Amino acid sequence: MRFNYLVDTGAWKSVEESRVASIEEMQVWDGLSDARITFNANEANIGHNNGQAPHMATMTENLNLQRALLRSLDASGVAEIIDNTKVSRIEKDTRNGGWPLVHTSNGEVLRARLLVGADGPNSPVRSYAGIESYGWAYDTRAIVATLNHAPRLAGLQKQSKTAYQRFLPTGPIAFLPLSPTSSSLVWSTKPTLAAALTATDPQALVHMINAAFRLPEVSIRYLHRFVLDEKQQMSSDALLEEIRWRERAHVIDQHSVFSSHAFDGIGIPPSDAEMLPPLVTSIQPGSVASFPLRLSHADSYIGEGEHGSRTALLGDAAHTIHPLAGQGLNMGLADAQALAECIQSAVLVGGDIGSRTALLPYARARYFENHKLLSATDKLHKLYSSTFSPVVWVRSVGLEVVNELDTLKAAIMMTAGSSSSVQKQRFDASSWATAARSVELAGSAWRAATSVGKTVEGVLAAGLSNLLTSSGRR
Amino acid sequence: MQTLLRLSRPLLCIARSLPRVAFARSAKLSTASVAASSVNQEEIQFFSRLSSQWWDESGEFGLLHKMNPVRVQFVKNKIFETVHDDGFEEIAEREKNGKILDGLDVLDVGCGGGLLSESLARLGANTLGVDASASNITIASLHAAQDPALCRTSALGNVPLQYRNAAAEELVEEPKRFDVVCSMEVIEHVDNPAAFLRSCAELVKVSYELNSPGGHLFLSTVSRTPLAYFLTILAAEKLLQLVEPGTHTFSKYVKPAELIEFFQKPLGAAGRPWISHVYDGMPVRQEAEVRGMAYLPWKGAWTLAPRGAFGSTECNYLFWVRKPLSSRV
Repeated sequence: MRFNYLVDTGAWKSVEESRVASIEEMQVWDGLSDARITFNANEANIGHNNGQAPHMATMTENLNLQRALLRSLDASGVAEIIDNTKVSRIEKDTRNGGWPLVHTSNGEVLRARLLVGADGPNSPVRSYAGIESYGWAYDTRAIVATLNHAPRLAGLQKQSKTAYQRFLPTGPIAFLPLSPTSSSLVWSTKPTLAAALTATDPQALVHMINAAFRLPEVSIRYLHRFVLDEKQQMSSDALLEEIRWRERAHVIDQHSVFSSHAFDGIGIPPSDAEMLPPLVTSIQPGSVASFPLRLSHADSYIGEGEHGSRTALLGDAAHTIHPLAGQGLNMGLADAQALAECIQSAVLVGGDIGSRTALLPYARARYFENHKLLSATDKLHKLYSSTFSPVVWVRSVGLEVVNELDTLKAAIMMTAGSSSSVQKQRFDASSWATAARSVELAGSAWRAATSVGKTVEGVLAAGLSNLLTSSGRR
Repeated sequence: MQTLLRLSRPLLCIARSLPRVAFARSAKLSTASVAASSVNQEEIQFFSRLSSQWWDESGEFGLLHKMNPVRVQFVKNKIFETVHDDGFEEIAEREKNGKILDGLDVLDVGCGGGLLSESLARLGANTLGVDASASNITIASLHAAQDPALCRTSALGNVPLQYRNAAAEELVEEPKRFDVVCSMEVIEHVDNPAAFLRSCAELVKVSYELNSPGGHLFLSTVSRTPLAYFLTILAAEKLLQLVEPGTHTFSKYVKPAELIEFFQKPLGAAGRPWISHVYDGMPVRQEAEVRGMAYLPWKGAWTLAPRGAFGSTECNYLFWVRKPLSSRV
């Protein structure tokens, strides 16, 4: 849905397509029990709008998207961008109606009818408006990097359009494809470990990433201690040696997908190769960074009363979220869309876009939506940080059960960032069904009615076959 | 009791549609001429006391702020429709969203703090806001002065928004006439609604062009029904005290049928009636229209009821009527 917004505004046209990957499948598994859930857009038949193949999410680098947005702003000709300039302070125009005055580092003073705070987690606009925010820091930092790896073998394997995420007790590690030979990493882990990993030799980080997707949790815990203890003189070779030793101890075959020995391209790759991300070979220089994770939610998205009038917050300035569900950008884009719609409808009736009355619909549209996601993500984080075995058992059984329920999985995929085409289809179907009552459209209505019938059948059949297969297994 | 009150609070907010100017006593809209001014001094004092709160959007006038977009939308829609009906489809389509009010002379009678006037001025209308309370005009002018978009003088030397402390009757004496006259939430506060309506009607421009009727008159008020009494007076003023007690006077409320009846009679010796036909108590769409409006607490916004929706005009409603061709009132 958010993706469609970018398409509708025309910003997507300026995106570098070769650095865009649509994700068709997602593999998520539990680091302790290996319980696994697979989301597949092809199976659920979602996201195939605008002539695209079914997909559940679209990945691209931040820079690519930012450049596209800047270009489309330039092309629109209505926005003026003041670059290489910082906001030095914001104050209230006390003499003249309390409009915000933004002082910039080049000495200009801008008097704002509406000051939109899209200025990140430490938003100066939020502090100007006196909006409190609540939340807590997770004892976690996220490491991000762009990874290089060999492409999947043409002819034998599909090019990877699969995202992988393994939930370790220290936090989830995610592997998101960008192109056939590069992917993006988001690894949430303990701050001490994150510091050691980002400071170390990049090749050692490569080994640690590969191991984090492959080794049993007990060995990963050991490796973490190893990294922390030896960070002064740890060499990547010593680390690899240690990993190989642990593989032998776990009886991992050299040709298995779980091995750190790169598949050399001769012969047939392991049959389960697509259960795991490809082995990372190197890290793009300068792409490693880490940032602290926090849950926070502003008490209000629009400034209240005398002090905060004519301000609105969106994106990270309004809320920060754990990246495990990959919803941060989606939420920000949804905020931007809602605020833009709100401003547009105010302009159409001659409203003052900085007024509380004009902005209230924005807060009403977004606050509760964001709150639901923030809280669901927070609960997931807590659920998966546990190593207490009953909790592990319950979450694993839950995951496996959900994995068997195709309709529920489709619903999850739709909310987690895929396009709204399925909803649109459903709407079309029902509107056609209504039209069926009119005589003129009897012919097409018949077609619509049968297609609705088929969908219902399909759902039933899928449910039944799942029941049968699962009872068969027992 | 506390909970009960809190629960019923949103529903009763409907009652907060507040008035702007003040003026007579009789609720019957007689066409017999009354020379006296329609300004009611008590009402003027009442709203002058509240004037500082006009622009506190979460305060006393919060519901009026929220009502404003619906009123403006109604004004825009009706003007769009008439431009279309007059055969200027292209102009209408082109300016549907943007500038349908551009360049029109608009008068806001009983402008209060200027909520409606500012919106109309932003849409491009040459707006004059008048109010019988001097303190309202002070507040309105001060507020508009803060907004550069409203004080900018155009190339022709026009200021998009001006305010004057005057009653409708004083303007009638002057030669200036307007394409659009609005008087929102005012008529239920005037002393002689018939005289007041006649003044407003007089201020609407006459068209001398062939086949093109004259200007528009927009009103909004509260109907004199048990529901309106319950919501606007019993609940809002007496039980919940959301609104200053004394804001509304039930007997001054005006029913849509009374407005329609008023405009069915000729407004002057030689004039034509503004509404020529009535079907089922309702005028034809090209001559006049009554639309109900209701506050939906679960959406936090007012909504314009569909044309002819059952019971929709039992409380707050909007009224539009157009000066007929060659009427000299």
